[in-house]
Amino acid sequence: MRDGIALARQGRPTVAFVTAKFRPQGEFVARAEGMPEVPQVILPHPVAGIGAAAMADLARTIAAEVVLRLREG
Amino acid sequence: MSGAMLEAADEMAAQEALHALGCTDGLPVIVPTAGRVARMVLASGLDGDIELGTMGPGHGVATIEKVACAAVMAGCLPDHMPVVVAAVRAVCDPVFDLTEMQATTHCIAPLVVVNGSARLAGGYAGGFGLMGPGHRANLCTGRALRLAMMNIGSARPGESDMAIHGSPAKLSLCFAEDEENSPFPPLSTTFGHAPGAAAVTVLGVEGPHSVLFSGDAGDPAAAEALLDLIAAVIANRGSNNSYLGGHAAVAVVLNPEHAAVLARHDYDRARIQQALAARAVTPRGELARLNGKMLQGEGDPVPAVRDPANILLLVAGAPGLYSVVMPSWCAGPHGNVAVHAAVELDQACELPGAG
Repeated sequence: MRDGIALARQGRPTVAFVTAKFRPQGEFVARAEGMPEVPQVILPHPVAGIGAAAMADLARTIAAEVVLRLREG
Repeated sequence: MSGAMLEAADEMAAQEALHALGCTDGLPVIVPTAGRVARMVLASGLDGDIELGTMGPGHGVATIEKVACAAVMAGCLPDHMPVVVAAVRAVCDPVFDLTEMQATTHCIAPLVVVNGSARLAGGYAGGFGLMGPGHRANLCTGRALRLAMMNIGSARPGESDMAIHGSPAKLSLCFAEDEENSPFPPLSTTFGHAPGAAAVTVLGVEGPHSVLFSGDAGDPAAAEALLDLIAAVIANRGSNNSYLGGHAAVAVVLNPEHAAVLARHDYDRARIQQALAARAVTPRGELARLNGKMLQGEGDPVPAVRDPANILLLVAGAPGLYSVVMPSWCAGPHGNVAVHAAVELDQACELPGAG
């Protein structure tokens, strides 16, 4: 989230990926850093260690939303 | 008094309100009334609005008054306040990476080591059971730091403190070095403080991992065996220190008996640090097999601590079979290193009626 906010502050189109378990922390950090509106895409938890095939499936699932958020930003 | 005041019908109602607001560490606290906080501010000898730094992840400003509030809640005596202030000042050092440390999923907690005259002024224990239970100065000071980290830094479990298991060490982890029974100069001297000067050293660590060693005073191999054992615990193969680049500090707390074994064999602090750093290594292939995705850094074997100076070596605890190693987290922009601060005892003033 911090990385996403840092990039957004540079004026770059940004989407922060947050897994569902970490959504409260993501929202806290976004508020604490003064950018609660930073674009986010919520992913299922966990993402780490799910394997290449499942990761590819996930990427296909969220790709359209990511592109949409980047265009909105 | 700055900030919002909480009103309650009585102490019990105030206690429950503080729990309900998430302002406690889960244990009962002393209700920080305006009078109690003002008295603790007075004990610091500093103005209440003096700012010690910013505490992440919430970026709250740690004023003396807010820190005094944490000290009251923790059950501190006025004599503990200078050490609490120094500990808060230390963790606010940007090098400490408090924001990241508070947010991590690792079970890291700030270890506060008290050196010099601050030990005596506050009654800090460095012998039997120094990490608790039973030592008020140690436990209340460490707890005050935690409450400051929660209520000024806004670290709350599951929301902004994402430690997967948490740790008892996150409730309180503070003790004095046993300088009188150490064959080595005080830990604080390695950071430039004069022997006897009041100082704290703070390092983010896991809780203590024990090292069992029973040496024979006449055994010429005793020192080498002890060093091998400590090194094995530093470089344990489940620890972050083994995988994440080796740039973090670790704490090694020798009991006085083990320290004497090493001193008898002409080991001073620098030689011990060098010996431990050289031995706390693991074959790269073994780490790659066990946990390859986490393995960072170069070299084979892989050192758990690349810079010997990052092995914080101190003497504390009772004489006996056990010393302890406190591994660390090894992350954050500055890599999880130690910070230190002077304890300003000369600012403290005598409180009316404090006896």
